Amino acid sequence: MATASLTGKAVGQPAQRVDGVAKVTGRTRYAGDVDVPGLIFGRCLRSPHPSARIVSIDVRQAKALPGVHAVLTGTDVPDVCYGRLCRDIPILAKGVVRFVGEKVAAVAADSVEIAEAALELIDVTYEELPAVFDAEEAMRPTAPVLHPEKVEIGPGAVAGHHAELRMYPPIPNVISHLTLRHGDAAGALAGAHRVFEHSFTVPSVHQGYIEPHTCVVSVGADGIVDVWVANKGPHIARAHMAVAIGVPEDRLRFNPVYIGGDFGGKGSLMDTILCYYLALAARRPVKMAMTSFEELTAGNPRHSASITLRTGLDRDAKIVGIDARIVFNAGAYAAFIPGPTLHGYSELAGTYRVPNCTIEVLRVYTNTVPRGHMRSPGAPQVAFAVESHIDMIAHELRLDPLEFRRRNAIVEGDLTPLGDRRRHMRCRETIDAGASAFGWDKPKAPGVGRGVSIYEHPSGAFGRSTVLLTMDKDGRITILLGAPDQGTGFHTMAAQLVAEHFGLSMSEVEVVQGDTLSTDFESGAGGQRLTLTAGQAIADAAGKMKEALTALAAERLNCAPSDVRVGPDGSFSAFGTNIDLKSLVGWAASRGKAPFSAEGQNTATQPDVTGFVAHFAEVEVDRETGQVRLRRMVTAHDVGTVINPILHQGQIEGGLVQALGQAMSEQIVLKEGAVITAHLGDYKLPTIMDIPELETVLLPGGVGPAPFETAAIGEMSNVAVPAAITNAVFDAVGVRLLELPISGEKVLDCLNEKAGVA
Amino acid sequence: MTPFTYLEPSSLDEALALLARHGGDAKLIAGGTGLVNLMKQRLVRPGFVIGLRALQPLAGIAENGGLAISALATLQSLEASAAVRRSAPLLAAACGHVATVRVRAMATLGGAVAHADPFMDTPPALIALDARIVARSARGQRQIPADRFFTGFYETVLQPDEMVTEILLPAQPPGNGTAFLKFLPATHDDYATVSVAARVALDASGAIADARVALGAAAMVPVRAAAVEAALAGRTADETTLRDAAPLVLGAIDPIADFRGSAAYKRKMAVVHVRRALAHAVAQARRPA
Amino acid sequence: MRTVTLTVNGTPVVREVADNRLLIEFLREDLKLTGTKESCGVGVCGACTVLLDGKPVSSCLALAVHADGGAVTTIEGVAEGDRLHPLQEAFLAHGGFQCGICTPGQILAAKALLEANPHPTKAEIQHWMMGNLCRCTGYYKIIESIAAAAGAA
Repeated sequence: MATASLTGKAVGQPAQRVDGVAKVTGRTRYAGDVDVPGLIFGRCLRSPHPSARIVSIDVRQAKALPGVHAVLTGTDVPDVCYGRLCRDIPILAKGVVRFVGEKVAAVAADSVEIAEAALELIDVTYEELPAVFDAEEAMRPTAPVLHPEKVEIGPGAVAGHHAELRMYPPIPNVISHLTLRHGDAAGALAGAHRVFEHSFTVPSVHQGYIEPHTCVVSVGADGIVDVWVANKGPHIARAHMAVAIGVPEDRLRFNPVYIGGDFGGKGSLMDTILCYYLALAARRPVKMAMTSFEELTAGNPRHSASITLRTGLDRDAKIVGIDARIVFNAGAYAAFIPGPTLHGYSELAGTYRVPNCTIEVLRVYTNTVPRGHMRSPGAPQVAFAVESHIDMIAHELRLDPLEFRRRNAIVEGDLTPLGDRRRHMRCRETIDAGASAFGWDKPKAPGVGRGVSIYEHPSGAFGRSTVLLTMDKDGRITILLGAPDQGTGFHTMAAQLVAEHFGLSMSEVEVVQGDTLSTDFESGAGGQRLTLTAGQAIADAAGKMKEALTALAAERLNCAPSDVRVGPDGSFSAFGTNIDLKSLVGWAASRGKAPFSAEGQNTATQPDVTGFVAHFAEVEVDRETGQVRLRRMVTAHDVGTVINPILHQGQIEGGLVQALGQAMSEQIVLKEGAVITAHLGDYKLPTIMDIPELETVLLPGGVGPAPFETAAIGEMSNVAVPAAITNAVFDAVGVRLLELPISGEKVLDCLNEKAGVA
Repeated sequence: MTPFTYLEPSSLDEALALLARHGGDAKLIAGGTGLVNLMKQRLVRPGFVIGLRALQPLAGIAENGGLAISALATLQSLEASAAVRRSAPLLAAACGHVATVRVRAMATLGGAVAHADPFMDTPPALIALDARIVARSARGQRQIPADRFFTGFYETVLQPDEMVTEILLPAQPPGNGTAFLKFLPATHDDYATVSVAARVALDASGAIADARVALGAAAMVPVRAAAVEAALAGRTADETTLRDAAPLVLGAIDPIADFRGSAAYKRKMAVVHVRRALAHAVAQARRPA
Repeated sequence: MRTVTLTVNGTPVVREVADNRLLIEFLREDLKLTGTKESCGVGVCGACTVLLDGKPVSSCLALAVHADGGAVTTIEGVAEGDRLHPLQEAFLAHGGFQCGICTPGQILAAKALLEANPHPTKAEIQHWMMGNLCRCTGYYKIIESIAAAAGAA
């Protein structure tokens, strides 16, 4: 197994976060903290109906209220729809509303209080129309059609090999219909010794970031539009905004801000374009901050899903084929995700040897809150289904669930269920390491249950990452990055990687996030990509900078560049003469050759190295109340080189606890299409008292696809957790939950049903 | 936030005079954690908000056999008070369960009872302790037993010109054991699916001399389960007695279905937790002093 | 309107405020102390935690007039000049934050805890800190950070 040789000064060290002091002293600037001269405040009026025609809007009284600078409705903004791929969302509702909470009018005023008072003066008359809330019902011929007109599709990712993708096929309300085939699943299932079929439901949950969507837009006299927005990929956002508002990208400046949590939910423009039109109309800079109520009812939460899995086995209990049907409820607009569907299908059963596989994925419109991306989009829904299904099969076959997984685990040389070749298959090793630490085979106290779930996910490699390194005359390096750190530690990771390349200490590197005018394109965070893509960009830039330094050293040492040797301490030598980095750069500066810069970018080819995780949960169930108490968990990760053990562990712990929310307490509840879990008193995020004892096992000596053998962790830690818990509940009391979240009432009802009691 | 005029009287008499003058258009504010939330959501829109901060020096706990607790005592002070932990541990326990440390630091016991949110933790404890609530107005003073104080959803017997000034707890009988259970099957910072305050006094023979059982989050008001209490009186304090008595709570409650559970589930949980709270209270009563 | 006289992070402040002004609005907008963050608006998440006379309060549910005559501590007042408080040092050393938006509230709540109980057990830390939500860390490192700061005292 490969290991990276490191200086011991940077990569691998628990370096303090570069944004740390600012964050613990409250000096970090988030979009909500931005203040510019003349700033006023925007608020929106939202539809109370899931489906309706807007008959009339009377804004005269609102406009007349003192302190109001602008009032906009759909007729006051261009007839433009925008979106990250499917451009189907208007700036303000035009003629119809398609979900409860859709923006119908907007006000900019001297204060939030005045803006809200103005909203109360706007009179809207609606004519209610038929609405559909369930994805399966929305596909029926009698369903109301949400988007009868053709939706423009921007340039963007299309499905890869093994796939047939139809965008907006002739099935009512279907956005995308994707079918992937590897081998012949139908044939394999027809000839299988046993076939099992189970269906699962996963509701929507909210990303739960503590900072709501916020933006500030200021239209300058010089024609530059300044934007400050909580968005994880400012260059992408800028590109979409430019197209939507007809302003060239070089007149749009997205300024750096820190983000108060993202988890996939802050990749869209949300209110930014509307904010721009308010700023234009008011001739003042405008700030729009969503309230918590608006986030919970009209943000872009996780897609809910219905998943049916059919798996065939041979006489040795080996999987011969899987047939999967996944239906995602997208809500009223497709605009909030950058792909035709959620990518979570691509890791379906990726931990198993599956010689034949067919996956059908449908993404469907309904008159409910538009859904977006959240931490490995589609994967948590799929992983809950797969790991529950596998567990159910094992129990039906009277096999130990761990042993069944081991027997069917993917091994080196196997193709993935979708026919891809990946290397570094440490599935069995990860399972075993976790099981050993957990004591899977140790005796259990009565009433205690144990469950396992496993998952595989390679580092993301898509998109473009760029970085600019500048070395000053003292040998210090400034790293210019184009994307924010939404909490994962991206900026700190970048500093550690650069320091490692040059043998510097962390105090000798500085990270700067530039605005979109001063930085090259950076796709930003997503799909656990940055460790790889930014790592590659940094390695690329570092390589070019070292070439430049080598050329300078050759000049200084009076030899050919090919004669120069670079030592592990970053010094340069040739023919017995040595010069350290600082002296070399000082000399270069005296010759006007420093400071100098080097640019780097990623290679964007998907690596074939992948990573595994195994979660183990131990629960006890109170048979009188159904309450599930999570006693302890073990999470085992197959990792490469860990750049920063504190940041890395933080992703493991944070991802796991976020998943506990989906498992145990969170659900976006809809009633007649409206989200009724509308504040944190009703939408329950895990608290510090809800966390289990947790042990983390990191398998040593791993391989990673990124420079220094590093690998992603951000989504690995989160996706498959819930099934470990529901599997443990089954082990404890024989209750199988086919939907999330777990609740005492659901467990008690199942227990009573089993006992034949009401 | 709705506009209002803030008044800050510097004495109790001044506060009562203001209440008399502004009546139904005024709301009192002590810690503010309940009222400000209601005003932000525009569920109440008082023209006047009367702040009781200046009356804080009157906040205190006096021991007189029982306890006389000033309405302005914060929940945190009650949770920590040696006198309350000694004489009415049930109240200290209930206070410790309330919401978050920020609410406990500001919210007052008088504010809590006047607020009358049926999900709150302190009212069932007060009912189980036979508390009497002292209400004063410019017209005079009266005492209302806690189990008759709450009349509806955020509604009490308080007249618009009345203010809670004290909560009186009688001396607890010897052989007393209490327990407070707050059933939280989702997260720890949730409202209760059901809460139970139980108090049991055992006589010299170990039988149940007297019992009090009150529930929160089980109806539009905190309820006293009188039928359960009656079924316990004079009985041996064993599992059979508790198991037979607990289901009698069903006649006293009328749970509302919400995110914490269906009405049917809450009914089942009321029975389970009444039995469990009584078991804990009995066990505590049996512990040597 | 009413004039409030108070200290904020030790500095005397005298301002006119509307009767219905919230403490968080007063701090962030009137005093430009933006370290205190607004999130849930209903007193559940704790992002808006400040100390009022040493007690942790939800500034989104407190009236500015209630701070009259009192002493408010915000995150900006926790360090002494360039000298970080042991809690801030501990959060830095142990990774008690990631995106940082809940961190001011966490640190202030923890400060009040350590002043009331200088050597809390893990259970006591969890009970006190229960009202401060974090979505990034999973809380383990917050507990570690507070325990470390308590140990260092």
